[in-house]
Amino acid sequence: MVDPLETDQLAVAPDHGRQRFILDDTGFDEVPKKYRKFYRKWKGPGDSLAPNEVICPVCKVVIRSSRELRPGDRVYCMPCMSRLVVVRTEAGTLEARVAY
Amino acid sequence: MAARSTPTSPIDIHDLDPQEFLEEVHSFEFWFQAVEGYLSGLTYGHKPDTPDTPLADVDRDRLITVLCNYCVGETAALEGASGLIAIAPNRLAKVFLSTQVADEGRHLEVFLHRLRDVGVTDPEGEVERRASRSLQLFKRRLLELVASKDWEAAIFAQNVILEALEFAVFHSHAQTADPITREVLLGVVKDERRHIGFGENELGRRLASAPHIRARIGQVKKELDHLVLDTLEETMKHIGIPRDEQDRLGRAYLESVERLGFA
Repeated sequence: MVDPLETDQLAVAPDHGRQRFILDDTGFDEVPKKYRKFYRKWKGPGDSLAPNEVICPVCKVVIRSSRELRPGDRVYCMPCMSRLVVVRTEAGTLEARVAY
Repeated sequence: MAARSTPTSPIDIHDLDPQEFLEEVHSFEFWFQAVEGYLSGLTYGHKPDTPDTPLADVDRDRLITVLCNYCVGETAALEGASGLIAIAPNRLAKVFLSTQVADEGRHLEVFLHRLRDVGVTDPEGEVERRASRSLQLFKRRLLELVASKDWEAAIFAQNVILEALEFAVFHSHAQTADPITREVLLGVVKDERRHIGFGENELGRRLASAPHIRARIGQVKKELDHLVLDTLEETMKHIGIPRDEQDRLGRAYLESVERLGFA
């Protein structure tokens, strides 16, 4: 697998055919109001990620997008100020990696 | 959790230009609106009507020791962050550190106030008496790094090592603490998210552009690791955290260090 962090392919994944999501306020209060819908708390072992969500590896907050996420997408974690890139793991799940 | 699909949602924060994102999250305005969300209505870090449950003598004594060590850590971060403003390499880092100074000052204040709440008449004297030697040595070394104007090493010691330790310990302690201490800790953890993120990302960018600093940071890590792990073990013992949770916390502390390439 080519690591997107080592390429120039940030945010170039095509948008066609992606599922779109309306994001509701989840009660996450660690960022200004206008950004709150883009984040939520991970609720532990019974929780699961939707296709538009990844966990921030730095601060463990769930990052949400209005689009279904795909490898190569760029996402931002405002609570810990990290810029991340979505990658697919060997297990087939999506994961975010920090892009310094 | 996100669920409904819909034809359109025009604005997504993740479409921001990277520089615009950095400007936004480092700003005083961002910080102000963020902390307003979770500190508004609180008094010394907790809701005014949260019941103060009585503690058994042994639990109270342990809590006092733990809070005293938290005060040492917060004082180190307060003095460290304020000293770092002068040597921060750019405006964004200077402004962010000014918000961190405010956070650290608040943390110190709420922990000292909690000590008074549980009956300590001279909190600052008690901190002097009970502070962990390892943590005091860590603080001294951190402030030496700041005084020597070594930006990367000081950011590593403070915003990566110290903040990661505090983030892990406060989060774990909050799970078993009395209601007031729990609220105070959870509020502090929300601030710590910004601090650890700033440290890891700032250092990650510096390492990417100047790989030669890696050896120096590795040396600082080697020097400070045992002080941090000793402090972690000592604090966990006072909190009464089981061994397996201690191991998990040790790993959590090491995660950010490993992401930066320091195994």
